[in-house]
Amino acid sequence: MKQRFYGAMVLLAGLSLLPAPAIAGGKAGVGWQETIAAKSGKAKTLAELAKMYDSSSCIQCHQDKHDEAQKSIHSRSIYGTGRTASTIISAIENGLMEEPYSGVKSPKDVKVEHLMGCAKCHLPQLKDAEDSVAQELVSTLYSWKDAQKKKDKAAVKQAEDKLKSVNISCLICHNRNAITHKWQDGYPKAGAVYGSKDGEHPSDQFPKMGVSPIMGESIQCGQCHGMGPNMELDEPTQCCTSYGSYLWAYKSEGGQETCQECHMKKSKLGHNIQSYRDPAMTKAAVDFKVESFGYHWRDGAEIKPKAVVKVEMTNRAGHSIPDG
Amino acid sequence: MGRGPYEKSGMIEDTGLPPGKTVHERFDIMFPLEEVEVDGKFVNKPTAYDLDVTVQLWYLPFGTTKTDPFLWHEASKTISISKSGK
Repeated sequence: MKQRFYGAMVLLAGLSLLPAPAIAGGKAGVGWQETIAAKSGKAKTLAELAKMYDSSSCIQCHQDKHDEAQKSIHSRSIYGTGRTASTIISAIENGLMEEPYSGVKSPKDVKVEHLMGCAKCHLPQLKDAEDSVAQELVSTLYSWKDAQKKKDKAAVKQAEDKLKSVNISCLICHNRNAITHKWQDGYPKAGAVYGSKDGEHPSDQFPKMGVSPIMGESIQCGQCHGMGPNMELDEPTQCCTSYGSYLWAYKSEGGQETCQECHMKKSKLGHNIQSYRDPAMTKAAVDFKVESFGYHWRDGAEIKPKAVVKVEMTNRAGHSIPDG
Repeated sequence: MGRGPYEKSGMIEDTGLPPGKTVHERFDIMFPLEEVEVDGKFVNKPTAYDLDVTVQLWYLPFGTTKTDPFLWHEASKTISISKSGK
């Protein structure tokens, strides 16, 4: 009788040590309620989405990093050089509107889920927004396109600025996407910035620092610069494959460097993360040798003079070139 | 087959340079010839004995040099053949 009583006590103690239910509010995991997205609630406008991941307060102490990041295309990830914005319009017209089961007959039908093929990388935080934001984004893209046709520079600039207002800001890498294995390492918390240190952070908006186990690892970049077809989407897209190439063609051959080592540290680019648009990166990436000679080729009874050009190219990068 | 990521579910062909590997390309270019009469016979003779060859490595994001092309590397060579034919 006594033994059975103790057994029950141990069981109760065990139960009391279990964390909160693993499924709450329909979402699995513990601590997701502390994320920026969960605390803010879904954004209803582009301005709200921009505010949700507003990194302007970082500038006060990290002006140099901000200035570097502004030179990188990450700071205008939806607009790009204009090519990205145009391609998203193409994805709507030549993709979604032509797909018989997408439910998109006109740009007005586009929802967040439709845009995630592009936004998974170009604006991952779009997932934290309502469909009204997808609509605002689409209408801004078309306003930009129309203004270009009409050569209305002021309207082009206005639309361009709006498209640039949402981007891969500091908080996307240093908070939202700073932890990949959330059941192991916990969900990124609102009010914290993630990097290499734990502790206090002298900021009213972000008073805590946390360690991101992946900030110096290629998987951090691999969340967007990905592995090929995004099978998790209802309509998989094949876009970036550089992390897949890195894993299966570089690491598997003994490659040891990370994305950050080449694109940030060795290149001295820091947060101005570049690839082929930086001359030093271009030069370092591909060895290009050309050898040539001429001779008189005997073609049957005829002598035909011929030039031979032999080209040798060695990709020194940790992924296929080109890739993204 | 379109090229947009929204239209693809897998790679059709990868023409990229694989990491850590050396890729070779060879180009054989015939010298331009013309038919000329020499000692009453018609023979083919080169119109030039030197060829200026430029090799360019392009990245073409949209598959054409018309849309945002990027010249990665370039090398120029002058290739000569002997006038004696030997």
